Amino acid sequence: MDYRLHLAKRMLVNKRGSLIGAVLAVSIGILVINVNFVIFQGIYDAIIRDMSEYRFGDIYVYDEEKSTIEKSDIVLINWFERIPGVEAATPRLEASATAETRILGQQHEKFNTPVLGVDPISDIRTSTIHETVGDGQYVYARNSIVVGESVASDLGGCSRGGSFMSSGTDPTVTGDADMGECQPVRVGDSVKLTITDQWGIDQKKRFVVTGISGTAGGQGFDRSVIIHIDTLRDMLDRSGESRSIMVRLQESATPNDAKQIKNLFLQAFPNDNLRAETIEESAESTLSGFRSGIAMINLIGYFGMGSSAFAILTIQMMLVNSKTREIGIMRAIGATRKDILILFIMQGMIIGAMGAGAGTAMGLGYTTYAKITNMEFQGSLALEVNYNWHKIGETAFLAFILAMIASIYPSYRATKKQPVEAMRTV
Amino acid sequence: MALDNVSFSIKKGEFVLIVGSSGSGKSTLLNMIGLLDHPTQGKVMIDGFDTSNLTDNEVSEFRNKKLGFVFQFANLLADLTVLENVLLPSQIQFDSSNILDKAKMILEQVGLGDQLYKRANKISGGQAQRAAIARGLVNNPTIVLADEPTGNLDSVTAENVVQLMKKMAKELNQTFIVVTHERAQFGSVDRVITVKDGRVFEGDHSTKMEVIA
Repeated sequence: MDYRLHLAKRMLVNKRGSLIGAVLAVSIGILVINVNFVIFQGIYDAIIRDMSEYRFGDIYVYDEEKSTIEKSDIVLINWFERIPGVEAATPRLEASATAETRILGQQHEKFNTPVLGVDPISDIRTSTIHETVGDGQYVYARNSIVVGESVASDLGGCSRGGSFMSSGTDPTVTGDADMGECQPVRVGDSVKLTITDQWGIDQKKRFVVTGISGTAGGQGFDRSVIIHIDTLRDMLDRSGESRSIMVRLQESATPNDAKQIKNLFLQAFPNDNLRAETIEESAESTLSGFRSGIAMINLIGYFGMGSSAFAILTIQMMLVNSKTREIGIMRAIGATRKDILILFIMQGMIIGAMGAGAGTAMGLGYTTYAKITNMEFQGSLALEVNYNWHKIGETAFLAFILAMIASIYPSYRATKKQPVEAMRTV
Repeated sequence: MALDNVSFSIKKGEFVLIVGSSGSGKSTLLNMIGLLDHPTQGKVMIDGFDTSNLTDNEVSEFRNKKLGFVFQFANLLADLTVLENVLLPSQIQFDSSNILDKAKMILEQVGLGDQLYKRANKISGGQAQRAAIARGLVNNPTIVLADEPTGNLDSVTAENVVQLMKKMAKELNQTFIVVTHERAQFGSVDRVITVKDGRVFEGDHSTKMEVIA
């Protein structure tokens, strides 16, 4: 072993307090970046995950000009499901309806709500929205309806006077129910939907609530109702039409695979005005602002790491000052200024390596904890936690380099000590 | 001016004492011979080599290869063991050939064969000074320079250290230049140089001081 590395190690070991302080400074800097990454990248990925799982799939197809795809969904789905790497595809249709509940024959609540029409058989292979039905079951029957949690509350009159009513719903409230009657719609209750068909005629139908859908994070259908797509088509008089086709790829598929399949699809249907987007493209507008936020948070984390570099610089200056006599002795017996420089830079490298190791271990510990516990904050969106080895390695390497750079000035100062004066230091 | 009009030469194998009162300039003289300090005028020749035009790196290399140092406080590196301290001058010049055996042998010769792996700050002052002598000798230097090597030791230990230096000088035909203000401790030596008011005189201090320039 190089004697300078050996001596640097010994000097540090014999100054345990300084060593621990410096290593902690580096490791806490890394930990902060890792925690930031787990939380904010976790939220970002969770939003993408939910958007993909509930709304867009891995590839999302819609008509560029019209509100619905006129081409048969069966043709499109069959095309997709023949492509290797595609797990499933499903049609979806959307509309707006007036939902209405009655208690003891009296109209209790009535307001507008978005309606999603799904094909339950293909939808459960493509989306996980059915898993958000915590109470009851999905829309397997033509007259069944799954009500989002918020809608269920509103239909029960629970949000009267609250802020929710103003968010896209018609706050038309009838009856004189007081807060004592506030009880969300439950499985088994009936809800009447009024939908205006494509000819402008109101179509009314009564549904039985078979499930209540609740999701954290706002990407689900808590403020919508879900019914069978064929029922919705009938009510809209849009037989065979879909608003979109949601495509799910196999788990092994990469974003590049999604792009290739999308391009293949567009080549196969060039004259249908169809537009296809990967999840990254679909989520772009939603997440572009969020990405800036993540960049800002990361910047703050890196400033924290910069602060730890200052801590190392200070501790290294202390170490150099406490080793003035040793520097003088080494110079007297023949060590060059370069030897002294290398010795103290090696100290910085040891601190950096130990700090990077400890910080990465702590960061991985936190990441694992977040992953195992499906970390969420006060019932909000569960974080999508991934081990980003590139990021982990990059952070550790950066911390190591910073520790080394922070050691350059103290090391340079060490080389400036004259042997005779240095040896007089007690 | 610490030293003025100083000129003398020393033969190989001589055991030379530099004596003088405090502040007379004897340590400055030793530092100049050891290339730890630079004369404002004149030059130091060692082994026939003019050291006045050496760069900082060349001075370091020269000190490492040609000079051995023994200081008043031993000046071992407390972070290293006795053996590692003795190995250090060789490691600085990256000479690893048989150095371990040689270091152990010298430590045996100075009576520290059983202290090899003790930390330098865990041995006594006399042992530390012996280790410093071993460190000064390990690279086969042209000159060993000792600055008050017994100044921090009790009289018995000091006597042992003096005897050790004399023994090593004789056995290895090693040149020693020792600065001391304890002239009596060294008894008979090859040569004595007295420094007074920055000037040097051959022989013990006397009324017949003679400039050897």
